Amino acid sequence: MEIEESGIGLLFPQWKPVRRRFDPDAPFFASGNIERELLAKQVALDLTEEEKQQLRDTEGGGSSEVFCPVVGCRGRLKSLEDFEDHYNARHMASCSICSRVYPTSRLLSIHVSESHDSFFQAKVARGYAMYECLVEGCGVKLKNYKNRQQHLVDKHKFPTAFEFFKKAKSSKKHRQKVQKKQGLHKTDDASTAMQVEEESIDNLVSAVSKLSTSDSPSAISFGRRHTRGLNFVPRAIQKERRPDISSGQ
Amino acid sequence: MADEASTPHKRDSIKSSVGSVAAQKRREHAVTVGKERRESLIRTKRLCRVGVSSGDADMPVDDDMSMDEEQSVLEDQTLKAVEELKHAIGYQGKGATQKRVNALRELRRLLSKSEYPPVEAALKAGAMTILVQCLSFGSPDEQLLEAAWCLTNIAAGKPEETKALLPALPLLIAHLGEKSTTPVSEQCAWALGNVAGEGEELRNVLLSQGALLPLARMMLPNKGSTVRTAAWALSNLIKGPDPKPATDLIRVDGVLDSILRHLKKADEELATEVAWVVVYLTALSNNATSMLAKSDLPQILVDRLASSNSLQLLIPVLRSLGNLVAGDTYVTNIILIAGREITENAIQALAKCLRSEHRVLKKESAWVLSNIAAGSIEHKQLIHSSEAVPLLIRLLSTAPFDIKKEVAYVLGNLCVAANEGSERPKLIVDHLVSLVGRGCLGGFVDLVRSADIEAARLGLQFMELVLRGMPHSEGPKLVEAEDGIDAMERFQFHENEDLRNMANELVDKYFGEDYGLDS
Repeated sequence: MEIEESGIGLLFPQWKPVRRRFDPDAPFFASGNIERELLAKQVALDLTEEEKQQLRDTEGGGSSEVFCPVVGCRGRLKSLEDFEDHYNARHMASCSICSRVYPTSRLLSIHVSESHDSFFQAKVARGYAMYECLVEGCGVKLKNYKNRQQHLVDKHKFPTAFEFFKKAKSSKKHRQKVQKKQGLHKTDDASTAMQVEEESIDNLVSAVSKLSTSDSPSAISFGRRHTRGLNFVPRAIQKERRPDISSGQ
Repeated sequence: MADEASTPHKRDSIKSSVGSVAAQKRREHAVTVGKERRESLIRTKRLCRVGVSSGDADMPVDDDMSMDEEQSVLEDQTLKAVEELKHAIGYQGKGATQKRVNALRELRRLLSKSEYPPVEAALKAGAMTILVQCLSFGSPDEQLLEAAWCLTNIAAGKPEETKALLPALPLLIAHLGEKSTTPVSEQCAWALGNVAGEGEELRNVLLSQGALLPLARMMLPNKGSTVRTAAWALSNLIKGPDPKPATDLIRVDGVLDSILRHLKKADEELATEVAWVVVYLTALSNNATSMLAKSDLPQILVDRLASSNSLQLLIPVLRSLGNLVAGDTYVTNIILIAGREITENAIQALAKCLRSEHRVLKKESAWVLSNIAAGSIEHKQLIHSSEAVPLLIRLLSTAPFDIKKEVAYVLGNLCVAANEGSERPKLIVDHLVSLVGRGCLGGFVDLVRSADIEAARLGLQFMELVLRGMPHSEGPKLVEAEDGIDAMERFQFHENEDLRNMANELVDKYFGEDYGLDS
């Protein structure tokens, strides 16, 4: 039997097997307690299956009201099962040009400015600090993508591998799900078509971006190695970045 | 500037309908009735409709829900009945007893028939004082019985109604004694059970007035409906949060023995109520748990769990077993050890619960398994090679959310061994590879996506095991294939800082800039 010792120096709270005990009035036991009463009284009160199910759902403590955990959302959901639908409806703001997906409309609009707006690029070229911090309420603006990236890592503890710019399209699984749901909607023909052609759009965008004079890596997809969430910066840019880290904003 | 292609927010059309006022009233009434009905259903109090001594054959149980009009008729009749009773009490002449009993009987009928008995009306008319008088020592049995029955149903409803029984409590307790006839003591136990079910305050009153001992004694005989009612009343009385009553109960002479006897041999109805007593004993009192763990109880519980098909019985039996496993290492370390028949039977019985269609059984049996899986490596091996695992894997993808979480705990616990000495837990690669190979990773990624913090945490922790522990550095590819990266990216704008940091750490460590580069 192969057993491995775990590594040292990680902050990550690794899985630890523990016995869990609950008090008798803990929410964990609520549905069992409800069931007890339902079973004891169903004959006397002539309960229908429907009623029983209703009672289980409302009182049973299975899933009570949930709040959406996306920053700034505060959406209320009837149950945990509803969360995925809510997320797909409210937090999958997609760009109509390149179909990349963002969890808030603010981030989407930042993306659109930074990726698809020549006016934005013009101001950048003239030296204005246009790249705003992605954390709402921070307000800091940086002169280029790299510096903004560094700000996110330093001040807001973003992962160093986080790439907002590359914030990719929704996962394949999600796209398939959404496509199925939208199958009947005519208005979505355009976006479906777009999703199908995303490969070609990508190449187009990357080709155009190579022509720009900005020093920020635009939507580059360097010959798709894998279909995955995070695209990575090609080596040419990587080499550029490392010495730049010290020259902060 | 590109247009934002977000989903259009729908707006409900403003509805207007003819006769909406009447419809509104009907809906409102339905909602209030529904609410009352719901509350009366989930209370741990029980209305007594049919006598404990099967006397009244002529009692029609009223099935119809009382609408407002019928309710007022009922209230009038109740007022009359109380007045009648007052007169009967005052009357000294011949046939006084019969007069009293008849008047009581009439009141009792009114309080037993409709779905919402006219308790408030009865109390307003001054029924409580009269009923207390009817309980006085030396009163004939029939009188005591009917009075206790009235009190039972008065106490079965709203909190303020139950509290109204305070003046009657010492007498009710007194009539639990061995000098009373069985029907009388049973009816008094029922009334007290309702009072105890109201809340901690009333429970404390009952306990300080000495209700525990006589009720405990009523549980000792082998059979009879009295034993069942007493057990139910006790379960309400000891349910805490103070553990002392539970500890006191197990120490009463003969209680432990009768619990074991009933759970082993009694019919399912009695066993159910006794099992609920055990639930509270094992959840609240360490003393009781320890005593019960060392008795025959574990074996008896496993046997019942395996053989019964009654949901009503299975729930408290399963939970008692769960409480024992969770509460005392004696059970997992001494009794349920690998190699013994009882352990095999236990896992089999738990698998049977996992297979059940009942949500509660699935959830709580997964919980019990997760605690066994948190034990020794032998325990993990035992569970891993049992029939439980295929069931668990299926449940992880298909079950409702609360069950999924418990299943996640089992599977994760199977892959990690606690290290007694140092802090660092050890990964059991064989189990991890086997479970991932059977397709459990997708389910964990789903948990990562959920809005529940605990579930998301579990999902991330399991992903870390996979990323770290899968041989040949397969972990990252596997996680990516299940859209794990996408799931982790979601945390970037998640309000929970812990989860954000956890996800970031994983992304940085395993999907950093070098990921995918074949260098």
